[in-house]
Amino acid sequence: MHPELSVNAHHFEAMGTTCSLFVVGQSRGRLLEGESWVRHVGARLTRFALDSELSRLNARAGEWIEVSEEMEAVLRAALEAYAMSSGLVNAAVLPSVLAVGYTRPLVEGPTVATLDRVGPTPALPEVLEVGGRGARVRTGSSLDLGGIAKGWMADRLVELLGPNALANLGGDLRAAGTGPRGDGWPVGVGCATLMLRDQGAATSSVRHRRWGEMHHLIDPRSGLPAKTGLDEVSVVAASGFEAEVIAKTALLLGPALAPAYCAAHAMASWLAVGRDD
Amino acid sequence: MRVFLLKAAATVLTIGATVSSALYVTSHLKNPAAPLQPPVLTAGDGSSATALGGTLTLGPSVQPSDVEPMTSTYAS
Repeated sequence: MHPELSVNAHHFEAMGTTCSLFVVGQSRGRLLEGESWVRHVGARLTRFALDSELSRLNARAGEWIEVSEEMEAVLRAALEAYAMSSGLVNAAVLPSVLAVGYTRPLVEGPTVATLDRVGPTPALPEVLEVGGRGARVRTGSSLDLGGIAKGWMADRLVELLGPNALANLGGDLRAAGTGPRGDGWPVGVGCATLMLRDQGAATSSVRHRRWGEMHHLIDPRSGLPAKTGLDEVSVVAASGFEAEVIAKTALLLGPALAPAYCAAHAMASWLAVGRDD
Repeated sequence: MRVFLLKAAATVLTIGATVSSALYVTSHLKNPAAPLQPPVLTAGDGSSATALGGTLTLGPSVQPSDVEPMTSTYAS
């Protein structure tokens, strides 16, 4: 461990959440470049703006749509997440997300739930095709890139920020380098502070973004809000993207299988059981 | 004569081992549809602790610390 180096930090609101960037040995200008990149790419990937790339892709389901390099990469990441999780992390859950009332940012409040129309989510590879800077979503399906996009963006962003940096996009984070003291970046994960070096971390939780009996995390096996007995899973993994996928998969697997799954796939894990289960 | 008997015995032994191995393998087929349930509950030389309604498990590549975290995985 060496003497503590000074850290430049920058916090801002984007993509409907709080983003925090930290760098060692880089100027404040680099942090502002990072914010600009988050806003630029986030605007392409959000489902809450009608003119975003994602909204156009969803609105023109059935047609091949030209997509940006970033969108293509995130769509491929979504397919990878589906494969990694054996189908539990499925970006095609948007119809269910809308049906539970999460039709707009929750700061504006949920809308009325219409659960009679939801069912199991179709397999993502059957409804999403990606190739040659184009993509097509099957008619009747739509995508929500949510945490997958944030994990993927944190991984790309930290490369932009420099060799010793930390990017936290609403809880999906990636640390690079050895941090300010040489022993890692101190990050709150579950009940502890963990020192992360060239690692990612994420939390999947049903304790927040919930209203009444509803919450935002859909179980694609039913198309309904997940109720597995676990309330919260946090993991550390090799990247922010992997951490996001592992955390969500573990939460959906429930308390019987999640410990073994996390032991096999995560570098560290925090599993919290449901308070009312 | 002795050389011939040794060769014949070795051949019979080899063929016997091959046949018995083949019979064993074909009668103990792996079920590719079996669910994946690794018998691992904690990472290699990791540690596990229960607190505040949850269980924290650390692998060897992650170190805990007493310092104040700069940020956390909790979304706003």
